[in-house]
Amino acid sequence: MMAVKKEDKYPAARRYQVADIQVSREATAVKPNVVVNLVKKAKHPVLVTGGQLLKDPKLVDFAVKFHEKGVPIIATGGSSKALIERGVKPQSAVFPLHYVTQFMLDEEWQGFDGKGPYDVVLFLGFLPYYLSRMLSALKHFSKITTISLDEFYQPHAKFSFTNLTANKEMHYQMLEEVVNNL
Amino acid sequence: MAFELKKGLFAIDEMRNVSIKIGKVVEEEEEWTEPMGPTPKPGILELRKWDHKLLERFEPFYAPMSDYCNLCTMGPCDLSMNKRGACGIDLKTAKARLVTIACCIGAAAHTAHARHLLDHLIEDYGEDLPIDLGGDINVEAPNIRTIIGIKPRTLGDLREALDWAEKEIVKVLHATHIGNEESFIDYESKAMHVGMADHIGMEVADIAQIVAYNLPKAEQDTPLVDTGFGIVDKSKPVIVVVGHNVMYSRPVVEYLEEQGKIDNFEIAGLCCTAHDMTRVSSKTKIFGPISYQLRVIRSGLPDVLISDEQCIRADLLEACKAVGIPLIATSDAAIRGLPDVSDWPVDKIVDALVSGKLPGVFLSDPEKVGQVAPLVAEAVFKKHGGERKYRFFETDEDLWGEINKCTQCMSCVFTCPHNLRIDQGMAHAQKTKDLSKLGYLEEQCLACGKCEQACPKNIKIINVIMASNFEKLYNKSGKTRVGRGPIQDTEVRNVGQPIVMGQIPGIIAAVGCINFPDEMQSIREILEEFLKRRYIVVTSGCHAMDIGMLKDEDGQTLFEKYPGIFDAGGLVNTGSCVSNSHISGVAMKVASIFAMRPLRGNYAEIADYILNRVGAVGFSWGPYSHKAASIATGFNRLGVPVVVGPHGAKYRRAYIGRYYKPEKWWVYDIKSRKKMNIEPAPDSLLVAVETKEEAIVQLARLALRPNDTSQGRQIKLTHYLELSQKYLGTLPDDWPLYVRSEADLPLKLKDQLLQILESDYGWKIDWDKKKILEGPIRPFDAGFNPTLVEEVYEKYAGEKPPQ
Repeated sequence: MMAVKKEDKYPAARRYQVADIQVSREATAVKPNVVVNLVKKAKHPVLVTGGQLLKDPKLVDFAVKFHEKGVPIIATGGSSKALIERGVKPQSAVFPLHYVTQFMLDEEWQGFDGKGPYDVVLFLGFLPYYLSRMLSALKHFSKITTISLDEFYQPHAKFSFTNLTANKEMHYQMLEEVVNNL
Repeated sequence: MAFELKKGLFAIDEMRNVSIKIGKVVEEEEEWTEPMGPTPKPGILELRKWDHKLLERFEPFYAPMSDYCNLCTMGPCDLSMNKRGACGIDLKTAKARLVTIACCIGAAAHTAHARHLLDHLIEDYGEDLPIDLGGDINVEAPNIRTIIGIKPRTLGDLREALDWAEKEIVKVLHATHIGNEESFIDYESKAMHVGMADHIGMEVADIAQIVAYNLPKAEQDTPLVDTGFGIVDKSKPVIVVVGHNVMYSRPVVEYLEEQGKIDNFEIAGLCCTAHDMTRVSSKTKIFGPISYQLRVIRSGLPDVLISDEQCIRADLLEACKAVGIPLIATSDAAIRGLPDVSDWPVDKIVDALVSGKLPGVFLSDPEKVGQVAPLVAEAVFKKHGGERKYRFFETDEDLWGEINKCTQCMSCVFTCPHNLRIDQGMAHAQKTKDLSKLGYLEEQCLACGKCEQACPKNIKIINVIMASNFEKLYNKSGKTRVGRGPIQDTEVRNVGQPIVMGQIPGIIAAVGCINFPDEMQSIREILEEFLKRRYIVVTSGCHAMDIGMLKDEDGQTLFEKYPGIFDAGGLVNTGSCVSNSHISGVAMKVASIFAMRPLRGNYAEIADYILNRVGAVGFSWGPYSHKAASIATGFNRLGVPVVVGPHGAKYRRAYIGRYYKPEKWWVYDIKSRKKMNIEPAPDSLLVAVETKEEAIVQLARLALRPNDTSQGRQIKLTHYLELSQKYLGTLPDDWPLYVRSEADLPLKLKDQLLQILESDYGWKIDWDKKKILEGPIRPFDAGFNPTLVEEVYEKYAGEKPPQ
C-alpha cells in the first residue's frame, strides 16, 4: 500500500453530520505523521475500538497492528471478539464507550491497566453520531487529547482525520502510514 | 348526631342563608387499611434525598450537542469547557436544565393526553364509573397508590392524581427559567420528579380508557392482530389514524359497527393510537410505527387520514396535500393552521373535504370524527375508483429518472440521522441497474425526509428507497398481540419469589421509539436471546409494533412463538406508550404483593426495594422522543436501569456509576445492623450502547442485584458470562465483582473460574473443599436485607442506622 505523501490533497474537514453542533473549537484535521508524533510523545496512550470493526475486517487489521506496536486497546461494541481471535488481549472488553468515557472524565481513574490516567486516546470504528457525543463530553470536561481515526471528520475531537468516506482507500492508506511509523 | 352527606351543594332548613358545599367525600378508612407512608403527593423536596443517593452513585454524564446556550436574550453564550453564561449557569448545569425541560415535555405530553381523555370520559360516563380492571387485579393503580397515596375507585378519583401531576410538572418547569437552579444534581432530581409524574399521567390515561372503553383487562392471551405495510385490503376504503389518543379513532369503529359496515372498510393506524384502537376492536390493524408515516401517506393508500397528538409529523398536512389525502386534525396540540369546523354539520365537512375545497379540517368533536371519516373515505374511494393517486412512482421510468439524477455529492449522507450511504445505493443502481443496495436502506431508513431537503437535485429519495424495496415492503405483514394493559396480581404472586430470588434471571422491558441503529430485524434478535433464556420480556409502543412485523425463517413473529404471559419466557405487550405505567406498576406490585411492602405514599422504600432486589432492565433500542426520555427517567428514579441504543447518547445525559470507587457502593444491612460495601449491581441507570452485541451483554449484566440469592446469582452470572463469551469473545472484565461465594459461580465453569480468581485476582481458595476463603467484596448471607434509606432501616431495625 502506498503511503500518503505530504503533498497529497486531503478532502475537506466538513462536518459529517451537517447539523451536528455549534462548536467553539473545532478539531484540527490531521495527517498521519501528526498522529504518530502525538502517540510517540504520549505517556499513556490507548486505542479505543468500536462496533464498526464487526463490519470492516480492514479496521480489525489496523487495530491488531496498533497493538503489535505497543498501543494498548480498549475494545467496545463487540469489537473485542475479532481482536481476541487475532491474539490481541484488550485491556477491557465489556464496557461500552459510554462507560469508558465516563471513567476517562475522572482524573483520579488509573485506567484499566492501573498505570494512571490515559493522556492520548485514539478512536477507531465508531458510529459517527455516537462517537461525536463522547468526544463532546471529553472536550468539555477533561484534558485528554482525543484523536479520531475514523473515516469522517469529528469536530468535537482535539484532532481528527478529514472526511475520507468517499475515498476509503485513502483512509486505509492513512491508517497504514500511522501504524508503520509508530 | 350523624349526617349522611353526599357530594354536591345543599342547604339545611332552619339555617337561613347558609349553604354547605361538599367538594369530596372521604371514603371510609377501613376499606383500605394500609397506613399512609411518609411521602403522599410529594413535592420537589420530599424525594430529593432519595434522588441524591442515586445521583451520588450513578453520576450524571453530559455530552453537549452544542457548545453554546441561546435559550434567552442575554446570550448567546459560549459555555464550552464548562464556562458560565451571562445568567451564571455553567455548561453541565445548562445541559441538566435541558434534560429537565425534555422530561417536562414528555411528562406533559402524557399528562395532557390523560387530562383530555379523562375529562371527556367523565362527561360521557360520569365520574362514578368504577375502576374495574378485572378479577385478578386488586392493586389497581400501583403508581397512584405509591406516589399519590390514594386508592382510586372511580374515574372521578383519578382527577386527584392528575391534579398532582399537573402541579408538579408546572413547578419543575418553573425551575428551568433563567436564573434558578445552579446545581446540576438538583436539576437531575427535578428531572426524576417529572419522570415519576409522567408515570402517573400514563397510569391515569390507561386506566381511564380501559374502564370506559372496555379494553382488555390484564388478559394473558389477547388476540393477535395484523401488522405491517401490506395488511390492508386495497379494494376497500381505507381510514388511517395516526397519533396517540384513541378518543378520536374509537368513534370511527363504533359508528361503522352501528351501521353494520365495519367489514366494508379498512381501519389501520400508525403509532400508539393503532395499539389502542386494536384494544377497542381487533378488526382494526396496525400499519406500523411513527416512521411509517411518510411511507403510508406517499403510497397513496389512505382515503382519509385522522391525526391526533404527540408522535406525528409536523408536515402532515403538506404530505397529505401532495397526494390528495384529506386530513382531519383533532387535537388542540396539533391544529395545523386548519379551520375549526367542529360546529359545522357533518354533510358540510364531508363536502369540503371530498371536493377538495379544504385540504384538511380541525374537528375536535369525537362523535363527528366518527361519522365524517367513513363518509369521506367512502366518497374519495369512489372518486378514484380504487385507483389511488400515487404509489411512490407511477412508472419505472420515473423511478430511474430520479436515480439517474444523483451525482453522489453525499449531501444526503451528511444530513441523514443514520448517515445511510444513499450515494452508494444510487451509484450501484446507476452502474448495474440493481436496486438491492437501495432496497436494503429501507430496513434502516426512518423516512424522516431530511435527505430530500438536502438534495441539490431535488431527488425524491424516500420514494426511491421505498420503491426499491417495493415488493418486500408492500407484502410486509405480521402479527402483534393486542395490548393487555396491567399484569395480573396472580401472575405477580407466581413470579415474585423467583424474580426477587433471581431464578427468573430478569425482566427486560423493550419500549419506546424506532430509531434503531441498524436494520429493524436486530430488535427481534436481541429479544429472542432473552426469551430463549427464560427472562420475562415486556414490550409496548413502537417496539411492540416492530416485533410484530419481524418474522423468523419459519415465517413466525415473536408474538406467535412466545406466550403473552408475565412469566419466564413470556412476551407481554402492555399496549401503547401510556401502558408503560403497567411496567413500572408491576415492579411496584412485586414489592407489594410478594414482599408485602406497603405502597401507600411510600415511594422511596419501594424504589429502594426495586433497586436492590428486582432484576428489571428497561431497553429502548431506538429512543428518540421527549416522552421516551421522561419515561426512562421515571424508571431510573424507581431504581430500574435503562439501556438505550446509540442514538440515546443524543439525550446528552446518562447516569453511569464508577465501579472502581468502592466508597460509592454501600448499603445498610438490616439483618447484620451494619453499613457494608456491596458489588456494583447495577452499575448504571442509563447508558447508551453501540451495537446489538453490546446491548445483549449489558441487559444481562444490569439485571444483577445485590439481593440475589446464591442460586439466583449463579443463574444470572451464567447468562452474563455465556452472553459475553458469545458476543464479546471473552469473559467479562468485571465478573469477580459479583462473586460472593463459590455458590455464585456458574457450575460448568466453576473450576476454571476459581483458578482465575486465585491466579489473576489473588483470592484464597481451599481447593479440597473448592471454597473461597478470601477475596469477595462481601460474603453471601441468606438473610441479607439491604436498604439505602435511613428511614427504612429505622423502620425495620428499630434503631438509627450505623455510621
